[in-house]
Amino acid sequence: MRLFAVLTSLFILFPAIVCGEDKYTFDLSETEKKPYHFGGYVEAKPILFGLDKDSALYKLKFYNRNEGKTLEEYNFKLQLEGSYETGIARAYVKTNTDYKHSYLGDDERSAFYEGYLSLKPSPSLKLDAGKKTFKWGKGYAWNPVAFIDRPKDPDDPELAQEGFIAATVDYIKSFDGPLKTISFTPVAFPVYDHINSDFGQNNNLNFAGKLYFLFYDTDIDLIVFTGGSKTTRCGMDFSRNITTNLEIHGEYAYIRDYQKNFIDSNGKSYLNEYDAKSYLLGIRYLTSIDTTYIIEYYHNGTGFTEAEMKNYYSYINMGYQSYLSTGSDSLLQKATNLTETNYGRINPMRNYLYLRVSQKEPFDILYFTPAITGIWNVDTSSCSLSPEVVYTRFTNLELRLKAIFLIGGKDTEFGEKQNDYRLEFRAGYYF
Amino acid sequence: MLHRILTLLLILLCAVPAFALDGTVLLKQVDRNLNPESYEMYRKLINVEPDGKKKEFTLFSVKKGADRVAALFLAPASEKGRSTLRLGDNMWLYIPNVGKPIRITSLQSVVGGVFNNADILNLDYAVEYDVVRVEETGKEYLLFLKAKTKSVAYDQIKMWVDKGKKLPTKVECLTEANMLIKTLYFKDHKDFGGGIVRPAVIETDSPLYKGYKSIMIFAKIKRQNFKDEVFTLTYMPNLDALRK
Repeated sequence: MRLFAVLTSLFILFPAIVCGEDKYTFDLSETEKKPYHFGGYVEAKPILFGLDKDSALYKLKFYNRNEGKTLEEYNFKLQLEGSYETGIARAYVKTNTDYKHSYLGDDERSAFYEGYLSLKPSPSLKLDAGKKTFKWGKGYAWNPVAFIDRPKDPDDPELAQEGFIAATVDYIKSFDGPLKTISFTPVAFPVYDHINSDFGQNNNLNFAGKLYFLFYDTDIDLIVFTGGSKTTRCGMDFSRNITTNLEIHGEYAYIRDYQKNFIDSNGKSYLNEYDAKSYLLGIRYLTSIDTTYIIEYYHNGTGFTEAEMKNYYSYINMGYQSYLSTGSDSLLQKATNLTETNYGRINPMRNYLYLRVSQKEPFDILYFTPAITGIWNVDTSSCSLSPEVVYTRFTNLELRLKAIFLIGGKDTEFGEKQNDYRLEFRAGYYF
Repeated sequence: MLHRILTLLLILLCAVPAFALDGTVLLKQVDRNLNPESYEMYRKLINVEPDGKKKEFTLFSVKKGADRVAALFLAPASEKGRSTLRLGDNMWLYIPNVGKPIRITSLQSVVGGVFNNADILNLDYAVEYDVVRVEETGKEYLLFLKAKTKSVAYDQIKMWVDKGKKLPTKVECLTEANMLIKTLYFKDHKDFGGGIVRPAVIETDSPLYKGYKSIMIFAKIKRQNFKDEVFTLTYMPNLDALRK
C-alpha cells in the first residue's frame, strides 16, 4: 500500500519535475544564425458596418442600391516575408495579399510591399536599393513630414504598408558629448511609368533626405524632398523623454506651392496654390498603474476648410436629389471621382485631436490590453470613438475586438461618413 | 587619555568612508563578475503564469561601455525583428511593421510579465546606484543601493552578494517608500568561457503580480567590442547583422 502511495506520488510529481526542469532549458539551436529567413502573418477580420442612410457618403455610394441597415464584410490577409544574407549583402522580400468578401462580391489584391537589396560594408554605412517603406516622422497617428510614405490610417497606425521604389544610403556617426549621433539618409526616388507612378507626376527623378541628430537626449530629424513629382517640401521632427514616463514629440512640414483643388456647392472646380504648413504636437504618458495616454494635435495645412467640405457635401446631396428626380447619376459620378482623387483621403480637414488611452493588463490579467481611441475633428466638432480589447496570451496569436462609433451632425466629417458604427474582430497569427 | 580619544575619533572618521568605498568597489566587482563591460549574449525570457502556462522570448543582446545596450528579438515569430536600444536614460523600441523607433520608458515592459525594460536593457548597477551601506550576513554581504537619479527604474535596491564568488544571490527592487516591486533570484552558476563564471538563470517574482514569475536564462556570453554606431536609432533595424 505504501509502495502504491509512493509510486502514485512519483507519477503525479514526475511531470512537474520534468516541467520544472523544462522551464529552465534554453535550446542553443535557437541562437544559431541561418543565412535565410522565412516567416509571415495570416489574418482573418470579419467586420459589421452599421450604415447611416442620411449621410452624404452613404448617398454617394448606395444611391442606386439598398443594402439594408448593416453590411457584413470578411477580410483575409496573408503576408509572407523572406530574406537571404551572405557577407555584407542581404535581400529582403515582403508580399501582401488581401482577400475581401463584401456586398460587392469577392476582391483579391496582391502586391510586393517591400523587396530590396542591402549592402552593409560597416556599421556606419548601409546602402539599400529596391522597394521599401521609410516611415519618417515621430507622430503616432499622423506624420506630416513622411514625404515619401503612403499616409497611414490613424485608426490603425501600426498597419504594415506598401513601400516605394528608391535607392538610399544610411551613414551614421557617433560622438561623445551632448551630440551623441548624427545620421544622414539621402534618397533617390524615381517616378516613371511603371515605377512609383501613383506617387506624383511621372518622368522625374526626385531626391529626399533625412538628417538625424541625437542632441542633448533629444531626437531631431531635418527632412527635405525635392523633384518634379511633387512640389518641394521640408520639415523637422523631434522627440524627447521629459521624465521616465513622459515623452513629447512634434513635427513641422512646409510644402511650397501646394495646389489644392476644391469645388463649390454647384460642383464648379477651383484651384488654390499656396505654401502649406502642417504641424503635430504630441505626448505619450505612462502612469504608475500602467495606463498609457497618447495625445496628439494635428494641423493639416493641406486640408479642406469647413466651408470647402460643406460645399462638397452639398454637391453630393444635390447630385442625389438630381438622381432621385431625373434618374441621372452624372453629378454623383463626378462626386465619386472627386472623392477618390481628392476629398476621400484619410482625415481630409484642417485640425484634429487624437487621444488613446490603453491599460496594460488590468485586474492582473496578463497579455490583456483594453484601450479607447478618440479622433476629434476640431473644425466640425465630430469624432470617432473606438473601444478595443487585445489579447496576446497565446504565442504568435493576437486577438483584437474593436468597435468604432462615428459621431457628428450634418456637414461634419464623421457625421457624413457612410457608417454610424463598425464592429470588427481580428485574429492574426505570426509564423 | 585625550590622545586615545583623538586616535579613536580619527579611526572612526577614516573607517566610515573606507567602508563606503568598499561597498562601491564591491558593487563594481559584482558588475564585472556578472558581465564584461562590453559583450554580446543570448537570453531566453520565460513568463510563467500561476497555472504553469508559459510565454517565451529569445533575445540577442549587445552592450558597450557604461550605458549603451541593444537587444534584438529572435523569437517568437510575432516579436521577431523587434529591437530595443538604450543610451543612458534614453530607450527606444523598433517594431518592423511600425518601421521607426519610438521612445519607450524604463518602467514599461516590451515583453509583458514581471521583467520591465530596465531589467532587459540593464546597465551596470554601479552606473545607476550608489552604495548607501553594507552589512555582513553570514556567507553574504547585504548591499543597500540608492538610485543616483530620479530617472532610474528602482529607487532603492537591496542586494545579497555571495562573499566568496562576489556575485549576487538575491536582489530586491524597492520604491522610494520602501515598497517591494520585485525580487530577483540569481541561480545556476555556469562557466561561459573566457573567464566568465556567473549565474545562468535569473528568476523574478513580484507582489504586484501574485502567482506569476519570469525567468531569464543566459547563454553564449562573450566579450565583444562593437563600434559606437551600432548603438544608434538608424542601426536598430540592422542589429541582426552583428550575429555570427
